[in-house]
Parts: sequence; structure tokens; C-alpha cells
Amino acid sequence: MSESINRRDFIKTSTAAVGITTIASGITLTTFAANKDPVKNNKRWGMLIDTKRLSGQEIDIMVNACKQEHGWGSEKHSVGDQKPSWIKKVKVKDRLTQKETSLPLMCQHCEHPPCVDVCPTNASMKRNDGIVLVDRHLCIGCRYCMMACPYDARSFVHEDLTNQKAHMPRGKGTVESCTLCVHKVDEGEQPACVASVNSEAIIFGDLKDSNSKISKTLRKIQSTQIRADLNLNTGVRYSGI
Amino acid sequence: MSNIRFEQIQGRGSGFYLLTAFLSALIIVALASVYYMEHNGHFVTGMSNRIVWGTPHVFAIFLIVAASGALNVASISSVFHKKMYKPLSRLSGLVALALLAGGLMILVLDLGRPDRLIVAMTEYNFKSIFAWNIILYNGFFVIVGIYLWMMFERKMNRFSSKVGIVAFLWRLILTTGTGSIFGFLVARQAYDAVIMAPMFIIMSFSFGLAFFILILMASYKWTERDLGDAIVNRLGNLLGVFVAAVVYFVGIYHVGNMYLAENSQVENFILFNGGAYTQLFWYGQILLGGLLPIALIYSPSTRGNRSMLGLASVLVMVGGLAQIYVLIIGGQAYPIEMFPGKDIVEGYGGIATYVPSAPEILLGIGGISVSLIAVIFFIKFLPFLPESLADEVADPHHKG
Amino acid sequence: MATIFAQYSNNLSGNSDATYRTTSFHESVSNIRKMHPEFLKHKRDETLRKGVRTEENSLKECINCHANTNENTGHYIGINDQGQFCSSCHKEVSVSVDCFSCHRTTPAEGH
Repeated sequence: MSESINRRDFIKTSTAAVGITTIASGITLTTFAANKDPVKNNKRWGMLIDTKRLSGQEIDIMVNACKQEHGWGSEKHSVGDQKPSWIKKVKVKDRLTQKETSLPLMCQHCEHPPCVDVCPTNASMKRNDGIVLVDRHLCIGCRYCMMACPYDARSFVHEDLTNQKAHMPRGKGTVESCTLCVHKVDEGEQPACVASVNSEAIIFGDLKDSNSKISKTLRKIQSTQIRADLNLNTGVRYSGI
Repeated sequence: MSNIRFEQIQGRGSGFYLLTAFLSALIIVALASVYYMEHNGHFVTGMSNRIVWGTPHVFAIFLIVAASGALNVASISSVFHKKMYKPLSRLSGLVALALLAGGLMILVLDLGRPDRLIVAMTEYNFKSIFAWNIILYNGFFVIVGIYLWMMFERKMNRFSSKVGIVAFLWRLILTTGTGSIFGFLVARQAYDAVIMAPMFIIMSFSFGLAFFILILMASYKWTERDLGDAIVNRLGNLLGVFVAAVVYFVGIYHVGNMYLAENSQVENFILFNGGAYTQLFWYGQILLGGLLPIALIYSPSTRGNRSMLGLASVLVMVGGLAQIYVLIIGGQAYPIEMFPGKDIVEGYGGIATYVPSAPEILLGIGGISVSLIAVIFFIKFLPFLPESLADEVADPHHKG
Repeated sequence: MATIFAQYSNNLSGNSDATYRTTSFHESVSNIRKMHPEFLKHKRDETLRKGVRTEENSLKECINCHANTNENTGHYIGINDQGQFCSSCHKEVSVSVDCFSCHRTTPAEGH
């Protein structure tokens, strides 16, 4: 083995190494081929919603985007409160200042979800990356999770369904809620509601990555959880309320 | 106290056939309602995403709570060694199992996916109080089944006391578990109260005994067997104590809740401006279910009167149903307080509307019918009832 | 009508993509027939609970491959319909199929 490396070889090797590292890191950031490995807990998905930058119409657009993506909202027989509502626009008025604020309310993807605690069959579950889901293969439709949810985030399917979206099976007698568009997140995309409005109002990203836009913004601006006193450590945070 | 002789019910009275035919009809109607609800989906009921548990659950919880209380009479005999209650132990165990079966039937048939009951029995989340309840209910059947066998089988009689203690402890845990289904829900102001667990225990004493008294008096009257005043008055006094205890616990629960500012709104709703729920609370739960039965049981003019005791028991049951209705449905109707200090003007909130639908009510009534028909069949064909409970026979202190 | 269904009554007859595949994509037919309940349960947990969304875990992919199209209209026929892939066996053995109260029975539009 030669002791000295000549300059040409050194430049070639190091350029190649740097080049490969750059391209490789670029590839891992941008390529989300179907993951063969189970999701790990090195990421935690979350969302920051800036209600000051989100208009009522935009929230309506978000709700519609969710409906289009997942195929809910056109149930024929359910009336009133029986209709599914994965995400809803809520308008609140401060009692002292009389100021009104609109915000989108969906499953908050808590770190300590009450719905997961109470589900008798483990159907209500939290994935390793923090997304809270209903495994509808196991759901017996007891609705206890709906009693337990502090955010009224879950819906029960009250009638037969047809023409479901291929990526979102849903059926009568089971409970459903916002999936944080897990099928899109797993492909490296953003949730449908986030993608439907301008990017400054809603930031979606990895809460465990201190360099992600959401983490940086959370460190910079004042934000809150809804019902923070319950200590659920929600993945969805709001600023401006 | 002379030997108590147990005997099945002889004869082929038309009353038996009419009663079973009537109850069977109610059960068939209930099953038809279940088919209707399951086939179409829950949109045919009054339940919604705001009121997720409705009338079927009111009946089911009522029966399940009463079931564990009905075992009290047997426990007083086996665990606390009060001889007068011993002849009643068999019936007590039977009524407990029958009421539990009826209540569970309603619960299971209301599930969104009742065909997945096997999943519920095999996939357990041990953090869920609901899953624990499933284990406790099944265990109750086994333990009380063994308990009854010990009572029937002469050779095993000496073990019945020990199994009785196990059964007593098991049902305390079971009822605590049932109360905790609600007590552990931090999300809703109306629940989230540890007092739910002991309150459910005392409710079970009261409702269970009311059921037991009615079934006892009815079976003896309609089979023309002797039922002495000694037993009836004892049970009546016991019922009075339990009803008073329930009123006390309810008082503590509501006063405590009102004291905490964070829960005062839901208290105002239930107690004062909740419309139907307020009426059910004061007239149904407190007046009919609490004060009136206490008056009937203890007032000198009606004391010791068997019909008045029967009426008091019916009122306790009516009040009990009202109490559970206010608890389960009123507690859900009041919106979740998500934004303290703010009013929600759009998108959520408001008192959720709920109107009990026919299929739900029929399912509930079907559940009670299942319990009653089970009791009737077993006391007819097996020696559950003592041939006589006249004072000379049953009262250990009877003179001459 | 009866003749249309008759020609699809065998798993590998009909005009689905699976009929034309020459390479073997998954376990042998006899293995699948015996074990597919276990396979399906395992694959659904992999997909849903663990996020492993590969082709072999995807029920959508089964349907995409095995769904037949109606010769006349060109539309896909529901995979659970009479005489189609699932029910051709399941009807024989009288085992109900729970999947399709929730899962879509045809490939998505635009597939």
C-alpha cells in the first residue's frame, strides 16, 4: 500500500466523496420510494396552524380538500350531527374582547391520546411516528373513543358506503377520523388540507427535527395546544388563539 | 329456624304461558329492531356523533348496575352471615346473572359491528377500562355460576361462603369498573369524577334490591306461596337505606362539581336550565327515584304495606333509569369545553339534540324482557325458590 | 348475462391483468388459497400499523391486478361481484367476505 496519495487521486476521490454525499443526502430527502421498513419513532409529524393568516374561506377550502381526498361528506342518509366531520371550521369569540377567530379543528394527534387508552380492541392506535389512526379491521364500533376524545374529532359511519376512495377504505359501523393523510405522508407528500392553502398559514413537518420549518417556527412564535391543561402534548398546534 | 325446602314451581298455570309469550314477543320485536339498525346503519336511530351512546346504553348500564346489586342479598347471607337472607341466596344469584345477561345483550347488539364480538374477546387493550369490564363481566358469570352450584349441591354447601366472598369482591370491582367507564373520561365536564365509581356501587345496591324485591314478591304472589312480613320488611328497610345513600352520593357529586368553577356550567345545565334533562333530574331522579320511595318505605301510614313497597321499588327503578339517562345522555349533550374564556359561535357547540328513537327503546325493553324470561324459566324448572318463606319458617327470631 | 359471468367463474379466466401475467408475483395458488386469511391479516398490519406500503402488502394492488372489465362498457367489474375473483371461491365454500363493506371493489378511476 503506498504511503502517499498523489494530488490527482486525492482530488478525484474527495470530489467523488463530497459529490456522492451531497447527492445521497439529496436523494434521501426527496426520494420516498415505498418504505420497506416499519415506521420508526425518529420522526414525529405535526402541524402548526397560524389562525391570524388563515381566512374563513381558506378553512372552507381545507375542509373541502379533505372531503375530496378521503371521500367523506356525501353521505345520503345521515342527518345533522350524524354526518362525518373529519375536520371542521370552528369560529370562537373571546368573551372579554369580543374578537372572533376561525380555526380548523381536526384530530390533534396527541402524544398521549385518550382515544387510544380507552379502545377495548387496540383499534385506536398511535403509529410510531405519532400519527393517531383507527385500525378499522379491529374496530367493533363501540364509540367509546368518541366519548373520550376531548376534541370531538371522531366520526361514526352511520350508513352503508359505496364508491370509497381506493386509498381510504371506510365503512358502516366503524369509527373514523383525520389520518393526517398518512397515505400521502408515507409518500413524502403533505396532507391534503395543508397543500390546499398557502404555505405560511399552515406548516406541516417533523417535530423531532430541530431544523425543520415547523420546529424553527414553533421556537420563534407563540403557540398553544387546545386544552393544554389536559397534558396530551398534541401534534397540532395553533398560534393566534 | 326450621329447614327451608326449595321447590320448582308445579302446575301448568296459564299465567306462566301468557307471561312468557308476552316477554317473547317483546324479545322478537327487539331483535327485529336490531336487524333494522344493523342493516341500515345507525342513521335510523337518534344517536349521532355528538350523542354516541343513547337509549340502549341507558337500559344496558341500568341492567348491568342492577345486576351486581342483585347479588347483595346472597352476599349478606354468605359474607355477613345473616341467616334470614340464606333462603333467598339462590334467587339472588339468578337475578344477578339474568340482569347482567340482559344488559350485555343490549350492549353487544348496539355495537356498530356486532359481528366482530370475537375481536372484542380476543384483542385486548389492558389500558382500557372497557376491556377490563369485558373480563369482569365474563368472570362474573363464571363466579356466580360456581356460587349457585355450591348452593345447590349439598356436598359443596360448606364452600359457598368462601365463593360468596369472592363473588362479593368481584362484583365490587365490576361495579367500580362500570362507574370508571365514565369516571375516567377527562374530556367531558359531566364525567371526569372519581366519585363515579363509589356512586355506581351504591346505585347498584339500590337498583338491584328494587328488582329483587319486585321479583320476589311477584313470584310468591303468583305461585301462591307464603312470603312472611319478616323478610319483606327487612328488605324494605334495606331498600330505604340504599335509596337514601344514593341521594347522598348524588348530592355530594353535584355540590362538589358546582364548587369547582371549571365544572359549574355543566352543573347549571343539568340542575337548572337543561330543559328535559333538568326535569328528568328533579322529577324523575330525585323526586320519584329518591324522596318518594323513602317516604313510602318509612312513613308510618305506608310502612309495612307490601303494595307500597312494590310501588316504591318501581319508583326506584324509574328514578334509576332517569338518573342514568341524565348521566349518559345529558352528559354528552352538554358540549365539550374546548376554549375556556371563549364562546364557540360556529362549527361546534350548543346542546346536542337527541330524541330516543323507537328501535332504541324497543331494544332496551327487549333486554329487560330477556332478563325476566330467564328468571321465570329458571325458577319454574329448577328449585330456586323456597316452598315457603312464611315467618315461622324464615324468621330466625320468630316466637312460637 | 349468464354467459358473461360464466366465462369469469375461474380465477384466472376473464380479462384481468393477472390473467396475462407471465411472471409469478406471489405464492403458489394452492398456498394462497389455504393461507390467504393469514397473509391478508399480516399484510394489513404491515400497511396500516407499520406503514410498510409496498406492492405486496397492498390490497389495492390485488384488486388492480385481479379485477375484470366488462367487455361491453369497458368499466371495471366489482371484484366481489357474483362470479368474480373473490366470490367464485367464497360462494362455493360459503365463507362471507368482510373486506368490501369498507374497501373499494374496483381499481380507482384513472388507474
